[in-house]
Amino acid sequence: MSSGSLRRITKELTELNENPPSGVTACPISDSDLYKWNVTLTAPKGSLYYGGVFHLNLTLPSEYPFKPPTLNFTTKIYHPNVSNDDKGSMCLGILRAENWKPSCKILAVLEMARGLLLEPNVDDAVETNIADQYKNDRAGFEKTVKQWIKNHAKEK
Amino acid sequence: MDSEQIDYQSLNYLSTVDHNLCCPICRSPLVDPVYTTCLHTFCSTCINKALERSQTCPVDRTPLQAEDVSPAPIMIANLVNELAVLCPNSELGCTFTCARYLVEAHLSHDCEFVYMKCRECGDKVLRRDAGRECLHQLEECTHCFQHIKKIDMEAHEKECPGLLGECMHCRLEIERSELKEHEFTCEEATISCSSSSLGCPWSGQRKELSHHQAACPFTFLRPVLQAHAERLTKLELENRTLRKRIEQLTPRINQSNTTEPLSFDEQAYQFLTEQEHMRQDMERLSATLGELEIKQGMLLMNESLRTKEELAGIRAAINGIRMQIHWLLTVRVHGTEHRHVVGGGAGTPSNSAGPSHPAEHSASRRLSDNFGQGVKL
Repeated sequence: MSSGSLRRITKELTELNENPPSGVTACPISDSDLYKWNVTLTAPKGSLYYGGVFHLNLTLPSEYPFKPPTLNFTTKIYHPNVSNDDKGSMCLGILRAENWKPSCKILAVLEMARGLLLEPNVDDAVETNIADQYKNDRAGFEKTVKQWIKNHAKEK
Repeated sequence: MDSEQIDYQSLNYLSTVDHNLCCPICRSPLVDPVYTTCLHTFCSTCINKALERSQTCPVDRTPLQAEDVSPAPIMIANLVNELAVLCPNSELGCTFTCARYLVEAHLSHDCEFVYMKCRECGDKVLRRDAGRECLHQLEECTHCFQHIKKIDMEAHEKECPGLLGECMHCRLEIERSELKEHEFTCEEATISCSSSSLGCPWSGQRKELSHHQAACPFTFLRPVLQAHAERLTKLELENRTLRKRIEQLTPRINQSNTTEPLSFDEQAYQFLTEQEHMRQDMERLSATLGELEIKQGMLLMNESLRTKEELAGIRAAINGIRMQIHWLLTVRVHGTEHRHVVGGGAGTPSNSAGPSHPAEHSASRRLSDNFGQGVKL
């Protein structure tokens, strides 16, 4: 069982290394533990988050691919779909256990996360206050996003 | 032959496999392919594992039961079974490649790198060595004369201390165990001057050392330099111990420095509190003093009032007595005058019957009565 998940993760890792997606780098933290990955996201052009560099932790469960991975922002981000606490967890869409399919790949998870930087999903928000601000006070939302990027998501 | 089952999912394929022939769950070419009522194909083990967790299709999440899964069409099975794979023992050295369905036959009959039981002793041995004599017998190494199993001889030869090795300096062939020792005497080994500790920068082959030393200024000055070096180390040692002493003493000095002002402050503080106490005592004392004064004044006033009243009473009493005395005197004077006037006449008023003594008595008695009354007042 575990060897099966490990084999699949290895295969996905080679695929990712051969065809790296744009704006995303992802690799296991150490060679000995392929279940914990470091992910770096750069927001696409046209996104409110453009210019920010976001670091995330991707954790694959030992039951992978039968259970979904979990995604946590280690860089603070002002986003309706990312919990505004020290966990910075993003949990929506395919990342929910009931929506996850074993045929989903890590690549799909990463692309979904990057897509949410381009357009937040306010109907499935974890931070409802931020979602309300996004809907009703876009200027104020943009201002806070830029401020947070300046404070937290600038690469030195 | 090992009875271990072949792990088809970890086989290495000769060429990259069309992703349509891969299982969406394990991402490897399908093994024992099955397909679902929603027309998706999986390895049979993968779909079984997925259905244990969720009764939905792993691709489109339509509800799915175990009975909705059936073996895939023969064509698909043939496509994946005929994919060319490397022998699972390719890492051990087997270069055989074949169609995937032939791997089992290759491993059980041909592969030279499958472990089998040794015919003689039952230990593990590769098939290629199984036909020869038992490789688990001990054999003497021809170089170091150690007893080693034949099967391990190849690995031993790489590190056998009895085997000849080449000196990297003089290219001489020497037994490996003596190679290290040879390094210390090899004429062509690069060494530094024996006075290098004193600063000589020379380094060269050992055979040139004597030539160099004949001209080496450091060797000439060696005794002087050495004495200096010794002195230096002695001084350094002394310096180090002194430094340690200083380090030990500095905190103590710092401590004493910090305690003195502290004690001064404390003293001042003590004095101040004492003064404060005394001030408070004084205030309290003066307050009680005032109180006592008032009390005494009141007492004095009361007392004087009472004495005044008494005095007035006494004065009144005295006045009364004076009046009585006056009256009595006048009465007596009148009485004597009267008697004198009547002169022994028998008809002295009967009210004054008898001698005057009784009258005198009563007067005196009344006087005393009056006096008593006056005193009472």
